[in-house]
Amino acid sequence: MIRPILRRVGAGVLVLWAAATAAYLALLAAPGDTVDAIIGDGADTPLIRAQIIQEWHLDRPAVVQYADFLWRAVHGDLGRSYLLQRPVAEVIGGQLAPTLKLAATAAGFGILLALVLALVARRPWVRRLSSTTELVLVSTPPFLIGIVLLSVFSFRLGWFPVSGDRGAAALVLPAITMGLPIAGTLAQVLRDGLDRALEEPFAVTARSRGLRERSVLVRHALKHALLPAVTMLGWSFGVLIGGTVIIEQVFGRPGLGQVTVQAVSSSDLPVVLAVVILAAAVFVVINTVTDLAYLLIDPRLRRS
Amino acid sequence: MRRFRTTFASLLAATLLVVAGCSDGSSGSTADAGAPVSGGSLTWAVETEPITFNPHQYAQAKARLLVWNTFEALLTHDDQGGYLPWLATGYEVSPDGKAYTFKLRTGVTFSDGGRFDAAAVKANIDQLLTPNYAPTVAGVQLKNLDTVEVKDDSTVVLHLKKPDVLILDFVSSPQGAQVSPKSLKEAKNLKAGGPELAGTGPFVLDRYTPGQEVHFTKNPAYDWAPANAGHTGPAYLNEITYRFLKESSVRVGALTSGQVQVIEGVPATDESLVTAGRDFSLARGLNSGSAYSYYFNTAHAPFDDVLVRQAFREALDVPAVLNGVYRSTATRAWSVIGPTSPFYDKSLEGGYSGNAAKANQLLDQAGWATKDAEGFRTKNGKRLTVRLVQSAPFVRDRRDVLAQAVQAAVKQSAGIDVQVQLVDQGTATKALTDGEYELFDNSRADTDAGAALNLLLYSTGAINRTGYKSPELDKLLDDAVATTDRAERARIYQRLQQLVVTEQALVLPLYAPQDQIAASKTVGGVAFEPTAGVPGSAYNLWLSK
Repeated sequence: MIRPILRRVGAGVLVLWAAATAAYLALLAAPGDTVDAIIGDGADTPLIRAQIIQEWHLDRPAVVQYADFLWRAVHGDLGRSYLLQRPVAEVIGGQLAPTLKLAATAAGFGILLALVLALVARRPWVRRLSSTTELVLVSTPPFLIGIVLLSVFSFRLGWFPVSGDRGAAALVLPAITMGLPIAGTLAQVLRDGLDRALEEPFAVTARSRGLRERSVLVRHALKHALLPAVTMLGWSFGVLIGGTVIIEQVFGRPGLGQVTVQAVSSSDLPVVLAVVILAAAVFVVINTVTDLAYLLIDPRLRRS
Repeated sequence: MRRFRTTFASLLAATLLVVAGCSDGSSGSTADAGAPVSGGSLTWAVETEPITFNPHQYAQAKARLLVWNTFEALLTHDDQGGYLPWLATGYEVSPDGKAYTFKLRTGVTFSDGGRFDAAAVKANIDQLLTPNYAPTVAGVQLKNLDTVEVKDDSTVVLHLKKPDVLILDFVSSPQGAQVSPKSLKEAKNLKAGGPELAGTGPFVLDRYTPGQEVHFTKNPAYDWAPANAGHTGPAYLNEITYRFLKESSVRVGALTSGQVQVIEGVPATDESLVTAGRDFSLARGLNSGSAYSYYFNTAHAPFDDVLVRQAFREALDVPAVLNGVYRSTATRAWSVIGPTSPFYDKSLEGGYSGNAAKANQLLDQAGWATKDAEGFRTKNGKRLTVRLVQSAPFVRDRRDVLAQAVQAAVKQSAGIDVQVQLVDQGTATKALTDGEYELFDNSRADTDAGAALNLLLYSTGAINRTGYKSPELDKLLDDAVATTDRAERARIYQRLQQLVVTEQALVLPLYAPQDQIAASKTVGGVAFEPTAGVPGSAYNLWLSK
């Protein structure tokens, strides 16, 4: 039991290191240097450049800076943001909770809606309608969904506030905006799985035992349909984290997305690296959870 | 020696400004909100979340309205190009122009309880000169500062290495604002600013939620507003929240649905949504500093030839492209200096006209007489191509769209091939450093246009992208800051504009940058900051009951 866990943790650390290193190299290869990024479109004189280089110790070779970064990261020190002049842990820490809250709520809403759509909309014409709606949702940019939802439910009806991370009401519209495309994708995968499962011999057996169709669907077919859906969900968490950028912009919400975009566009290396490490960590955790979920869902995997 | 004249005239100007509600003739909201009342809390949606709340680190004109809620400067600008007392009651300049003596107001306290005095002023400047703290301020605004002398508790003297009238602009600027010496010593994140930095202003910044909002509470002890602030004593509002909403349509929706009472940044495309109802007012203010312009890179072909520079200007029908992108909301610029500056040379207006026939004739004359299969002009088999590199993070006012409009216009009118590159900051800086560009676009919001010109036009200027170096131009720039006589400065800058705009055609001025404020008519006191032309602080805002 201990061994596989150790192997997993080891692999996780390796993934984190690889992600951080790749991000470091990518930023190093990007045109312009850190000094350019800090100067922005402001005054640019040799004196100003010299001071910036001195302040951030940018005169050291890239390898030394990289080693220094790794050494401090291992000790829990992620450094200071070039742009925001605050400790990275503080910059990111403050934005983590709103992002996770939004991602979790959106995922919850998306899963629930997908289950309802896949299980309830079984009649042929309802299926067609549902399936078309799902496709439309998946192919509409979240930005547009957000603006439309805002216009109707915030600006016109006044049910929900437009902005911020202030209580449950402010979470509703962004969570729906993010959850809808997930529900669309997930419902399609679930429905396919259900259809396939219902044609399997075990479904025929179940029916022949006199079970009602509904019961066959929920108690037998759903378990089979869940496997690909769980894989899908692991993937969509990644999409969720990426999608927060636009949602935050539209809804004026705090969160990691805005911080990341700002950090990348201004080559704010410490923040970018911290975000990459964090995202990689989240991915490792989610993948582990999905693997465990497989075991729960499918007894055959437990034996092997 | 010059002294303040805080006379009837400036008070009248201040009153007029407040009543008019804006500096551009559009209707303000004051008339509808009735007489000022104290109390209430207001929410204002702004486009830009400041990178820093430390005024010394200020670099975003869009953040200026927040600075003056918490912090104050020694002087402030009137709307005539002059200065009014603020934390200083007056100043004197020595005859050689190298010593500026400021008499400080007494009885002023920082919100952390500390006393504002000459030692505090010195502490602030010492901090600015600390290595690695504010290199831009130390290298530009304070480059001529020699020493700071504390004469007594309420007198401080700035000794300069050489005469530099821009020191007055500095002591009126956010970078010159006074931060409590205690905060300077103790703040953990000094350069980021925020609640731990105390100022003397009418509000106290007490809560900042990154990505969401910043909240200010009234400073009840406040009693030292400048003469043009609209009233005296504490602010009217008990509290004000600025919410960061980057999407303009979301800001407008939040306003029209009553979730916020004021917004700034209303693009032309969204104006009708605000003005459609009777409940909201819209006001525009023109910014100070340099106009948004295209600067020609004279270091290499084709813009090393003045004929081609003139041809490019004639090839572009500026009002047509401005109308296409901004409808009728943009104010055309004619000079490198913005039209609201006291140094603006009005005689430049109409100097070139967007005459396509003349453009083509000039290009023929310059040797770009042949055309290739795609209709672009060529010379010795080389196409007339010019590159404009825009740094995406700094593109505002849809300047990328404007560039496309310019591209289409000059292609059609004169066969000039403009290549617009919208790139990241690193790539843009690299292109500029390597000289891989022919057009450079820029506007600066400096309150004294001279500060902008020093950076943009001086032969060693920090953002001189024209590559044009001339002793005459440098001398004009030097002379213009060596005297405190405003009429003399205006004369010098007039000559400079003739040289740069008319004779050398170094620049194609496009429009005067502006800010817009839309407000519910229940909000009174909405105004633009005199001279700067950006939204003012919350000091004089009130909510009618």
